[in-house]
Amino acid sequence: MAASILCGRTMLCRTFKGISCSKTLLSANSRSGLLLQTASYNPKPLKLNLREPYIPAKDSEKTPEWQKTARYDRKLFGRYGSAAGIDPASLWPSHEQLDKIIAEENEWHPPLAVLLKNIQAKEEEATKKRLEKEKLIADNMAKMPKMMADWRAQKQETKKKIREAKARRAKLLVEARECFGSTVDPRNKKFMEMVENLEKDEKKKKKLIKRQQRDERVTGSVTPPEASS
Amino acid sequence: MSFPKKPGGKALEVLQTLPRITLANLRPEPGATKTDKRLGRGQHGGNRSGRGHKGERQRGNRPRLGFEGGQTPFYLVIPKYGYNDGHSRRPQYKPLSLKRLQYLIDLGRIDPTQPIDLTQLVNARGVTIQPLKRDYGVQLVDEGADSFAAKINIEVQRASEGVIAAIERNGGVINTHFYDPISLGILIKPVPFFMRGQPIPKRMMPGEDMVPYYTDAENRGYLADPEKIQQARRALALKYGYTLPDISKDELYRMLSMRKDVRQIFFGLAPGWVVNMSEKKILKPTDEKLLKYYSSEI
Repeated sequence: MAASILCGRTMLCRTFKGISCSKTLLSANSRSGLLLQTASYNPKPLKLNLREPYIPAKDSEKTPEWQKTARYDRKLFGRYGSAAGIDPASLWPSHEQLDKIIAEENEWHPPLAVLLKNIQAKEEEATKKRLEKEKLIADNMAKMPKMMADWRAQKQETKKKIREAKARRAKLLVEARECFGSTVDPRNKKFMEMVENLEKDEKKKKKLIKRQQRDERVTGSVTPPEASS
Repeated sequence: MSFPKKPGGKALEVLQTLPRITLANLRPEPGATKTDKRLGRGQHGGNRSGRGHKGERQRGNRPRLGFEGGQTPFYLVIPKYGYNDGHSRRPQYKPLSLKRLQYLIDLGRIDPTQPIDLTQLVNARGVTIQPLKRDYGVQLVDEGADSFAAKINIEVQRASEGVIAAIERNGGVINTHFYDPISLGILIKPVPFFMRGQPIPKRMMPGEDMVPYYTDAENRGYLADPEKIQQARRALALKYGYTLPDISKDELYRMLSMRKDVRQIFFGLAPGWVVNMSEKKILKPTDEKLLKYYSSEI
């Protein structure tokens, strides 16, 4: 019984509210009752759950994990302000979290002075390395002209030696032809013997010349006073 | 006898009685939308749905671009020198020319009577910054330097010498600041950050590779000595042949001399504060340890 009365009351209230808020609409309707039917209007359903808003329960298992986090609480505070019912102190990290943050910062973000020091050290090392290399290059470049001259001289000498050997060989061949009467192969045994003999002779001659020179020197050192007198 | 009716009476009444047009009662015109093609229906049920027979073509799992079926692909055959080493990790700076900056100022999209930082540039749609794509901020480019005529206090991440000269010639001020990716994300989108209800973090120092740039007075770096910056300003005026306007006697001196702290992200907001948009309130920490952490210098 009481419930029905209550229902009736609410109904009344609703109708009154409807009247109060859409006075103009009603008056228009009364003037042309047929019109509302012709102007058919099919609004999309309002997809908002206003009657039973979802409020995540922290202790429920059905609540997704991300809605139980401090990050979500902060988000609620950011959106609804103090109406979210969240302690503003919880917006900042707790002491333990702050310790962690500070430790991480100390590990990964050295202060500017340290950075500058590191940069300077690196720069100094790089300049040192560069200067060393430049010095090495300069030293070697200073040696360069002498080395070039040496190399040229050596090259010329070897060339000269080769030329002399060639000339000697040709001379020997000519001599052999005169001796044997025909052109001789340089690999011929006779020819090789002849060359050996010639070399021996030459050695002997050289020895002789040396001895003579020594004798001359000895006699020369004694004789000059005689010659002067 | 028939009386002539009011012209447009019915239509007018319909219009008056209909609800106001909103997004909620608008729907696409008939014929404006196209339904998806439904493959493999009806007569063609057991067939190939227009994808041909077998293989990568039918299954839509084509190999990667440049793949030549197992043969050493062309892009790997040619040897290459390390000019592009680490290119995917190099910091990027979105270019903004002085010409475009002048355009934005002329249109009123940027207010030159206030200090300009990255937030203003992003809000004016001057640049689009994507911190996740290794964008480290904006670089000012000297295109349109000759016609640049605004007196501004601007803060960018990189600027060339010509740009610095063009801005200082007009009596403006330019500074280069570093933002780590996290504070950059906050700087370009402040409101979504405030809606997260988190305290504003400290801006981090640049790494070893970037410290030389930001400590250099010639780049107007924010870590450089202010006196050296003054010297560099005079030197640049001499080099480019203009007389340096005296800022201290300017009527906008207060605006022009505004600088952010080394650890600050927003003008007027210190690290550690929480900005609540719904209540229009700023919450500041009182805990001593927090205060010490957020106010620690360098």
